[in-house]
Amino acid sequence: MAQKKLTRADLMSAFWRYVFLFQCGWNYERMQSVGYCFSILPVLKKTRPDPEEFKEAFITNLNFFNTNPVVGAPLIIGAHIALEEAGASLETTEGLKVGLMGPLAGVGDTLVWALYNSIIFSIGSVMALQGNALGPILVILLVFFPYLAVRYWQFFWAYNQGTNIVAQLGSGAIQRITELATIAGLIVVGGFAPSIVRLTTPLKWAREVVVRGEKVTQTVEVQPQLDAIMPYLLPVLVTFLAYWLLKKKGWSPTRVIVVLVIIGFVGGALGIFG
Amino acid sequence: MLTALVLAIWAYLCIYDILGPCFFLGFRPLIAGFVAGILVGDVQTGMMVGGTLELMALGVYTYGGATIPDYTVGAILGTYFGKAVGFETGVALAIPAALLLTQVDIVNRFLNFVFVHRADRYAEEGNATAFDRMMIFTSHIIWGLSRAIPVFLAVAFGEGLVKGVSSFFEANPWFAKGITVTGGILPALGFAMLLKILPVEQYPAFLLIGFVMYAYLKMPLVGIALAAFAIALVFQQLKYRPKEA
Repeated sequence: MAQKKLTRADLMSAFWRYVFLFQCGWNYERMQSVGYCFSILPVLKKTRPDPEEFKEAFITNLNFFNTNPVVGAPLIIGAHIALEEAGASLETTEGLKVGLMGPLAGVGDTLVWALYNSIIFSIGSVMALQGNALGPILVILLVFFPYLAVRYWQFFWAYNQGTNIVAQLGSGAIQRITELATIAGLIVVGGFAPSIVRLTTPLKWAREVVVRGEKVTQTVEVQPQLDAIMPYLLPVLVTFLAYWLLKKKGWSPTRVIVVLVIIGFVGGALGIFG
Repeated sequence: MLTALVLAIWAYLCIYDILGPCFFLGFRPLIAGFVAGILVGDVQTGMMVGGTLELMALGVYTYGGATIPDYTVGAILGTYFGKAVGFETGVALAIPAALLLTQVDIVNRFLNFVFVHRADRYAEEGNATAFDRMMIFTSHIIWGLSRAIPVFLAVAFGEGLVKGVSSFFEANPWFAKGITVTGGILPALGFAMLLKILPVEQYPAFLLIGFVMYAYLKMPLVGIALAAFAIALVFQQLKYRPKEA
């Protein structure tokens, strides 16, 4: 590897730039592009003293970029810095960014948002609803320290692994982490969905039955009948409806919301659900 | 007016936090509502509104930059108005506010293209200083104001409107019923979004295992999460076991 061109201060500068402004300026056109460029810029200044070369790297690093900001982005930036320091070409570093941002977005979204956050926030919310202020405080602590630690660790791990990272992650490690996270994620979602989505029906009808020769009016409630088929049948159906519209019909989340609001509001107002 | 300003600043901070620091995840309704509760001097209402909305929005995140209802602003406004008229009305106001502001987020994410175009220009000039200045001072302004301004306007001028809305709720219980049911099924979207990014068709069995653990075995959620981790580990150990000679 070429001689070290970067000091610890340069690395920390990139890290703090990433921490404080990574997704600022996010836009539909190139998503996290300006934040990424902002993070890597102090490194580019050091590794490319020639103004023309620097300009070229500056322009290139404004390309489209999007991944999970917590698990994913620091790893890519760390690895990118190592390659940059070793004198890699812009094609190589762009290849690293494009190759890793997709898979790591999947891992990061599943690990951080679907698993970790769903767990801590559901616990915190239940405590808050019981009037316990420790709930939200606990959540803040469980965000602040682990997030910062995990980002710092990824960044320096990826930097220290240097050029090996692509080979390492490529050799099946990233697929295995993805698989682990998605399997755990699926199980958790399977349990979380019926625990959170609420939909029941108060519908009932009266029927006359003959008990020991006497006519008796009996009320039949629909909900226990549904529960006998499968508990949480209605929440499961509405979740699959939303999934089907999103995935198979390609609807935007906003359009799905409109449908859910109509079902919920009309159903609730008419007394079909509630 | 002071409250409006304080809450607007808090809304700005909540959104800025997810754009970078992620120090407290203020964009989550639990946190946004809790701190808004402290700011208006009614922590209980803040926690009730924030906790209720949080459970509705659990799993709802902006995967790949998708727009979602603005539960952040919803929680802040719900807390502020809920303080006077009770947290149920606060929640009932928070949901339409969150849905209304969905459109604002789309406009915000669109308008931000100005930064990338200015960045292109600075890059052509090789002007890193100007780029840094833009990033530090202005790159979060459209994001922040798109939340701060609606909060400020609603708190500063929305009192009469909210009084009208809450008396309408009292006079028309069917309306409140509709809102309550809607709140119950909105989380379906969050889970649908999660399922969309997960390989459901490849591994349908795992989804079913999670469902059975909750619906039939009545396991608490933390237990399900631990079991999920264990099952995933075992699955991989079996799958990647070195072939025996």
